[in-house]
Amino acid sequence: MQRSKILKRVVLAAFAIIAVRLFFIQIIEHDAWVAKADEQHTMLETIVAKRGEIYMMDQNEPVAVVMNQTTYSVIIDPAVTDKDGIKAALNEYAKDNISADLDKVFSTEGLRYSIVARGVSHTAASKIADKGIAGVWFQKSNQRVYPEGELASGILGFVNADGLGQYGVEGSLNNILSGKDGLLKSISDVNNVALSIGDDNVKIPAEDGQNVVLSVDRGLERGIEEITQDTLNNSPAEHAAVLVMDPNTGEVIAMANLPNYNPGNYGAVKDASAYNNYTTEIPYEPASIFKNFIFSAAINEGKMDADTTYFNEPYTEIDGNKIWNAEQRGSLNNHTLTMRQALYWSLNVGSIQALKFLGDNPNEITAVGRERMYDYYHNKFRLGQATGIELIEAEGFIWDPHADIYGLNAAYANMTFGQNLSATMIQTATAFSAVINGGYYRTPTIVKGVLNDDGEIVPLDGRVTATEGDPHGVHDVGEDSGRQDPSNTAAGRIEDKILKDETSAMMREMLINNRSYKLRAGIDREGYDVGGKSGTAQVIVNGAYDDTMTNLIGSYIGFVAPAGEMPKYLIMTKMWGEGQALSGGEAQELFDVLSNYVIDYMKIKPAW
Amino acid sequence: MKNRKHKSDLVILFATLGLMALGLIVIYAIGPMRANVLNSTYGSNYGPNDFFIGQLRSVGLSLVAFFVAFKVIPYKYLRKWAKPIMIVALILSALLWILAKVGSPLAKCELGECRWYNLGIISFQPAEALKLALVIYLADFLARKKEEGSIGKWRDFWVPLIIVCGASLGLVVVAQGDLGTGVALIAIIFGMLLIAGVPAKQYLLMLAIVLAVAVGSVALSSHRMERVDAWIATLSGGESSDSTYHIENAMMAIGTGGFFGVGIGNSVQATGYLPESINDSVFAIMGETFGFVGLILVISVFIAMLLRMLKVADTTQPNDERFYVIGVFSWVLAQVTVNIMAMTSLVPVTGITLPLLSYGGTSMIFISFALGEVLQISCYTSREVINYNENTNSRRGVRRTHYSSSSRNSRNTTRKTTRRN
Repeated sequence: MQRSKILKRVVLAAFAIIAVRLFFIQIIEHDAWVAKADEQHTMLETIVAKRGEIYMMDQNEPVAVVMNQTTYSVIIDPAVTDKDGIKAALNEYAKDNISADLDKVFSTEGLRYSIVARGVSHTAASKIADKGIAGVWFQKSNQRVYPEGELASGILGFVNADGLGQYGVEGSLNNILSGKDGLLKSISDVNNVALSIGDDNVKIPAEDGQNVVLSVDRGLERGIEEITQDTLNNSPAEHAAVLVMDPNTGEVIAMANLPNYNPGNYGAVKDASAYNNYTTEIPYEPASIFKNFIFSAAINEGKMDADTTYFNEPYTEIDGNKIWNAEQRGSLNNHTLTMRQALYWSLNVGSIQALKFLGDNPNEITAVGRERMYDYYHNKFRLGQATGIELIEAEGFIWDPHADIYGLNAAYANMTFGQNLSATMIQTATAFSAVINGGYYRTPTIVKGVLNDDGEIVPLDGRVTATEGDPHGVHDVGEDSGRQDPSNTAAGRIEDKILKDETSAMMREMLINNRSYKLRAGIDREGYDVGGKSGTAQVIVNGAYDDTMTNLIGSYIGFVAPAGEMPKYLIMTKMWGEGQALSGGEAQELFDVLSNYVIDYMKIKPAW
Repeated sequence: MKNRKHKSDLVILFATLGLMALGLIVIYAIGPMRANVLNSTYGSNYGPNDFFIGQLRSVGLSLVAFFVAFKVIPYKYLRKWAKPIMIVALILSALLWILAKVGSPLAKCELGECRWYNLGIISFQPAEALKLALVIYLADFLARKKEEGSIGKWRDFWVPLIIVCGASLGLVVVAQGDLGTGVALIAIIFGMLLIAGVPAKQYLLMLAIVLAVAVGSVALSSHRMERVDAWIATLSGGESSDSTYHIENAMMAIGTGGFFGVGIGNSVQATGYLPESINDSVFAIMGETFGFVGLILVISVFIAMLLRMLKVADTTQPNDERFYVIGVFSWVLAQVTVNIMAMTSLVPVTGITLPLLSYGGTSMIFISFALGEVLQISCYTSREVINYNENTNSRRGVRRTHYSSSSRNSRNTTRKTTRRN
């Protein structure tokens, strides 16, 4: 055979093999390679929606108290970068942000990716970028900043590392604040730069979150928190909560939950209970403050008035239980007293008497009385139920008037003075608003609305929850049963006339009378009507009331008004601490200071 | 003793020019992507058209070399200077090795292998010159030995052959670590030996020895073994790794091309995924761009060119010219098949350019020069196939005509060609 023929066959054989191979790869395996290539080439990038800012009011103007800051992470490819160049640039512009041991990064064999600095400002990042060092790139991220520091941490909450709002408004209004992330899908080159090649590139723009305006007044909030923290520092109490509301609108003007934490550094908090908003999330026994509600019910039903009398014994026996007055002075015991005096001295026998009046039998608690009381407590004052405020809320508990338990009348007797039930501060304050504002129950609110593009405040219209999707910010918060997702309850704001004008007026008169000695003592000022009622609650320890009286929660609720006018602001204080016997007296002293502060700060003019 | 001059072989001419043009188009399309990738990864500063301009320059120089070889330098001068050319080529490679050893900036190294002379704006790869020199040298050597009748003799033939070829292979494979060029050299040597009429037993024995040494050296070299492992991994669908990345992405480029390809300028693999996209991997990018149909066309052009070279060799009378053509044929065949087979995972990646298509000056210039000489030789072919008795073991002189044992070729077995200068 001619030898060049061998070469010819080699040529033909080699190319035949190649042709078959190409057919196999390009035709038979084509789809598989396309799928593999798509996986390698397609870049899916989330366009992060800008989270809405949170505003408070200040001099009737919204001011931002929670903002966003764009920061950058610096990432390097240690294998190709200019080691000395990047080191020098980082040390020059972002020394405090260096998050990795550079020497270690550079000595690691085969490392191609390392985040070397985090939280770098835009200015610093662009200065480093200007150096044009190879193998360096930047990753943008949004950071939540709280310029007011710890202010109102219980209201605000924080945003966790995954960008989810937690606790406070950040958690409860996460849907409104977070907006909706967009999506960028495109063919990209090996450095993840999008290419114009390909026809199924997708870009869904992000919908930015809305800017939420709270009804909280920033200056008042700060003042209230400072005063309360001072008080707390000089008291055995460990915690204090203060609520300032406009009783006529239901708007929360200030809400302090002390001690605060810094939402910008929420990880430093050791005990997660510090994240709680005590005013809305913690049901408790507000104690004698509740006497206002049984009195209002009995007066409103025409069963008694302020001057109705009863014979005040040191205790009264119900279902075999002796229920004692806390106040045992001789001038009161076994005397005939008016209901006004009973409220003034906070006599438990007096409030039980009001329940008896309500049940049409001055000598004993009747089923009718229980039903009527339940109707007021549960249906009208909505105690033990979430109010619908735009915050994470807990419910509470009110005994059913026909509950199948032994000692139901005793339980109801306790409920007249705010024990053997539970309610949150916001529930109590909202019900108390109705007592003093002419009898209107209004859903409390802490949100004025959202800012539109023109800087106007647009109310949420009760559609706090209208955004679809899972309100995950709420679910993540904790396991406490009875917590309410505000999105389920605030379907619409309630305005309900539950008390007659006269009832409310009579209650105001008695509440002002409660503090008449404060006026004489110069604590309350001339020209103003300041009314209030204290409550000292025994704490249930191991299922029974702790009769040692060493573990007490003190509360006080009241209002301020120009003399003879309707109340302007409602103030509720609460102080407590484990193992601390805190009477309503301490909460009352805090109220004394705060009521004067509110009068001054809100510039309430006196009337003579 | 040559045939009268006639027109050159148009297939070889247009195949050469066509492939150069195609290479230019491909580099024009993917050059900007390459520049972009290098700039963003290594902070280099390439303009979008730098690679196209570079290729344009290479093609221009290659065309000059091609036509100078074709029209200006008669092959007989090459033969005359065969020994000095070989010596210079060996010295160039040896010098590079020495320069690299002493760390001279004149030696340009990449990834630890020093294969280039750094001459300021251009770089020069002596291995390419060595390939051409070896073809010229062996054509002369084999023709002389054939005339002496000493082919197959140990002292007169094998010893000098082994020394020259061993030195060449040693400098390229060992000193420069260039296995791709080594494969091309072996193909050149054995292609020419086959046609020169080395006795079959000796030929097969030598081939076996060389293959054994080659396999042994690969098995002993860890980074070459890594490539073999990677190749086996891709073949068997094993785990992806850094080593399999190159082959996988080459196959991904070819595979996504499908029947007609994604079209010029739409290659995604060229945007940095496929290493060496403009050099050794340009075939894969062409597969992505032009698809199965386009690749078959490109391959057909190479086949046509190669078969025409065989035809030229078959119809060329002077032994040295014949052997030279076969040397160039083997060179092109080896580079094309090894390059394409590597890209399609039929053989391990060796790092070898695709003639006339890959970006790069030296290789294109030298292969263009080599093809120019082939074209010149093609002007003097006879009309009939000349069958020298290549298959002889006879010690008789080769000047005598022998009849082929093959009846098919019998009518062409004599020196019928009569028209002579």
